[in-house]
Amino acid sequence: MELTAQIGGSVTDGLAYLGSLASLSSRAAYFTFVAPFRGKPLRFRQAVSQAMQAGVRALPILSLITFFIGLILALQSAYELRKFGAITFVANAVAISMTRELGPLITAIVVIGRSGSAFAAEIGTMRVTEEIDALETMAIHPVDFLVAPKFLAMVVMLPCLTIWANSMGILGGALFGVTRAGFFFSRYAHASLDALFLRDIVTGLIKSVVFGITIAAVGCHEGLSTGTGPEEVGRRTTRAVVVSIFLVILVDLVFTALFFFIGGG
Amino acid sequence: MQISARRLDKTTIFDVTGDVDLATSPELRKALLHELRDARIPRVILNLKAVRYMDSSGVASLVEGLKVSRDSGAKLILYGLTPSVREVLQLSKLLKIFEIYENEEQAISP
Amino acid sequence: MEPRVDSSLQHEAMISLRNLRVNYGEREILHGLSFEVVRGETLVILGGSGSGKSTLLRALVGLERPSSGEIWVKGKNLAVVSDAEMNEIRKRIGMSFQGGALFGSMTVGENVALPLREHTKLEEPTIEIIVRLKLDQVGLAGFETYLPSQLSGGMRKRAAVARAMAMDPEILFFDEPSAGLDPIIAAGVDELILELKKAFHMTIVVVTHELASAFLIADRMVLIDKGNIVAIGSKEEMRSSTHPRVRQFLDRIAESEVLEEADYLQMLTEDHPRKRNSMTKRGGA
Repeated sequence: MELTAQIGGSVTDGLAYLGSLASLSSRAAYFTFVAPFRGKPLRFRQAVSQAMQAGVRALPILSLITFFIGLILALQSAYELRKFGAITFVANAVAISMTRELGPLITAIVVIGRSGSAFAAEIGTMRVTEEIDALETMAIHPVDFLVAPKFLAMVVMLPCLTIWANSMGILGGALFGVTRAGFFFSRYAHASLDALFLRDIVTGLIKSVVFGITIAAVGCHEGLSTGTGPEEVGRRTTRAVVVSIFLVILVDLVFTALFFFIGGG
Repeated sequence: MQISARRLDKTTIFDVTGDVDLATSPELRKALLHELRDARIPRVILNLKAVRYMDSSGVASLVEGLKVSRDSGAKLILYGLTPSVREVLQLSKLLKIFEIYENEEQAISP
Repeated sequence: MEPRVDSSLQHEAMISLRNLRVNYGEREILHGLSFEVVRGETLVILGGSGSGKSTLLRALVGLERPSSGEIWVKGKNLAVVSDAEMNEIRKRIGMSFQGGALFGSMTVGENVALPLREHTKLEEPTIEIIVRLKLDQVGLAGFETYLPSQLSGGMRKRAAVARAMAMDPEILFFDEPSAGLDPIIAAGVDELILELKKAFHMTIVVVTHELASAFLIADRMVLIDKGNIVAIGSKEEMRSSTHPRVRQFLDRIAESEVLEEADYLQMLTEDHPRKRNSMTKRGGA
């Protein structure tokens, strides 16, 4: 009894949490897509500066990480493939796992670490210093002012970063291909492109858009839910990172399964 | 707020009535800047006898008009200040900066 | 002294509370407050920490919804207004927060300009002149390009007042204007409140626990304790009050010396009402 009650409790808590994320996302979507047609200008400048912060500044670290991931993928798949004398399929293995899975996922995780946590910390601090209250007493909606630009930036930047991450991963694989599997660079690149279907790239990008929404929703929701006291900000920031990683992987699973069943792989 | 213009020789007189507030002051600003900057009228006179209330945006519009008039060598003159308008200008320390007269004859004569 | 309602005809009530109750969860913070704020007066809400005075202020600006009772501001009852109506009311009031609550990523000028840029169709040059007028009125002329972090505590508070005044509000609210400031700077802020009242005939509501400041700026005072009105009246009425709670507060007698023996025993032994709430709240990751 006790256990079932506990499980039931956590399930309803979890659903309630997802519900509040959905409501925050829909309000952000309203302020991004509907309100501009009702005479409330879109906060384009803020969105651009958020996109710079979340996207462009993430490039160096993201490039390095995905380059290594590509290299690791090549090493791991070569380990198996060489038993079958199929080491030239390394290019295919790296290209497909990067674009369909690891590119979007690693990008999301890097962005969670850099931006999801920053959203929670920024908005949480504004809660503590009464800046959110100040917005409300000035009749400015905090979702409109703070959350919507972050959503827009995330939805636009994550796919862009993912494309970059895919390329860097393939480049990492090429390092192995050229030095250890006897590829010329141009042939490796060709083999990678031949292995990919448009579908692979598109499914990865669809996922990355949903990841972007998830990261923005969790980061902003945790920030807005911050109570009083500076120690709350730290707790909420940590929570934002943990919950985002969990939800991104959950979303990944759902979409991968979806693509598997509707696309036959 | 309503503005109507009377155009004399080298002088425009605006008769302003009602409240000059956040919603209406852009209209006053536009009228002032048009006469002073675009039409280059050398003297613009504002009749404020019927202004019941003026807020900061109204004051700011007058200040901008004054700045433009000084830049272009024109004159911006106010007359017929109601006690409430006088007080608003006083609080903004602007009473001594504007050229202010009691009535229309005084405003036109110099 | 009983709470009384000012009913003389020439006094127009800007705010009027009727039996206001506010809850946090299951705990009732304000137990049915009724009073009025008259146009042009400075009303000081006085109380110790935990008295409910901050909650009262938050309710007055619409940050907390009453659980019952009415708050009438500009002919609208805040307890039942729609979001859109609330926003219209909020454009006519200004609030200066305890720590200033200026936006750290914006300059002082941008902070003051924000409500104007959000809610009006004024042109940029007009907004810039208004910003300079407002900053001059709070004694911060020339500081529009500074970031809040580059200002001292007292200056930040002044900048917050300028932002609160940006839209020429009819009512100005202050939360603990002298908190966290040294006495000289705090006196400067009191001075500013007096000047604003004199110059703009603004209706001002101040929440504070500072007696000296309260007696300097108030026309009338409300003393709040444990979510109830203890006394309401002019400065003189407060000074001459014989109500034990008023005396305790004004003479700064420590809480423990005033508690009855029975109350003291109860205080030591009663169940803490907040304990259960905070336990359940702190679950989760």
